[in-house]
Amino acid sequence: MKKIIVLLTAVLLIALVWFFALSLNAPKISNVKTQEGKGLPSGFELLKLNGEKVNETELNNGIVLLNVWASWCITCLVEHPFLNELSETYNIDVIGINYKDKLGDAIRYLDKNGDPYIYSIHDYDGKYALKLGVTGAPETFLLIDGEIVKHRVGEVNQQVWDEEFSNFF
Amino acid sequence: MKNLATFFSIFFINFFIYADQLYTGLDEQQLKRLNHLSDNIRCPKCSYGNISSSNAPISKDLKEEIAQMILAKKTDDEIYDTMSERYGDYILLNDVEKRNPLIFLAPLIALIISILVVTIYTIKKSK
Repeated sequence: MKKIIVLLTAVLLIALVWFFALSLNAPKISNVKTQEGKGLPSGFELLKLNGEKVNETELNNGIVLLNVWASWCITCLVEHPFLNELSETYNIDVIGINYKDKLGDAIRYLDKNGDPYIYSIHDYDGKYALKLGVTGAPETFLLIDGEIVKHRVGEVNQQVWDEEFSNFF
Repeated sequence: MKNLATFFSIFFINFFIYADQLYTGLDEQQLKRLNHLSDNIRCPKCSYGNISSSNAPISKDLKEEIAQMILAKKTDDEIYDTMSERYGDYILLNDVEKRNPLIFLAPLIALIISILVVTIYTIKKSK
């Protein structure tokens, strides 16, 4: 009986050490859930920066890369050259969601830094982005036929692109 | 002195106008609910802290959205469900123990089982 208890204690101890060792490499549970597997929010009348109405079926068909940006966002400015490269070199269509921005500031930002977007949705109050699950800028969503297959919170650069997005193209 | 008085007058007038504009339409009871819910929902952009104590724009947006849901007669559970469906259970703070009692009962169950095992072993050994 004594041997069994010693053996059980040893097994329990090893299991505990193994469990904690594994949890060191586990993804952080504190991360906010990404929006993968979901679709785009409905019931919004979306306008482009130029005032034209957005055709929502366009967003729900084929491969769509949505990038949340703002003129006041420093990380967006860091990310911007890579987005320019994506649209120019890789010929990938990127649609912007201009998040909580003034129209004039947004247009000046694109004039100054280049416009990698085929168009940008003007989400001036951030309500569309809020329903989409955006917590700030920049964030990037990859949609295939209306389903979010990749949601990146933070900057997309070459390394992130190669690791998380490139295999979809 | 006159400039200082002008500054404080403008500051306090603006402060009260701003406070008055937030969450209009909520009665005292609903405001209490809003505060309680905001205390129990984590700011998704911050490392720590709830949306009550956070100045992040997303926290303000979420508080406004919760106020709208209260006005739309949503229950607390429905509001928590909306938030956790969008951001995951990570967003829920204190009230999570009521929603997942098993997680919090597990240590107690383990303790009771351990005490039982030790007691049975000791009784058997003494015989």
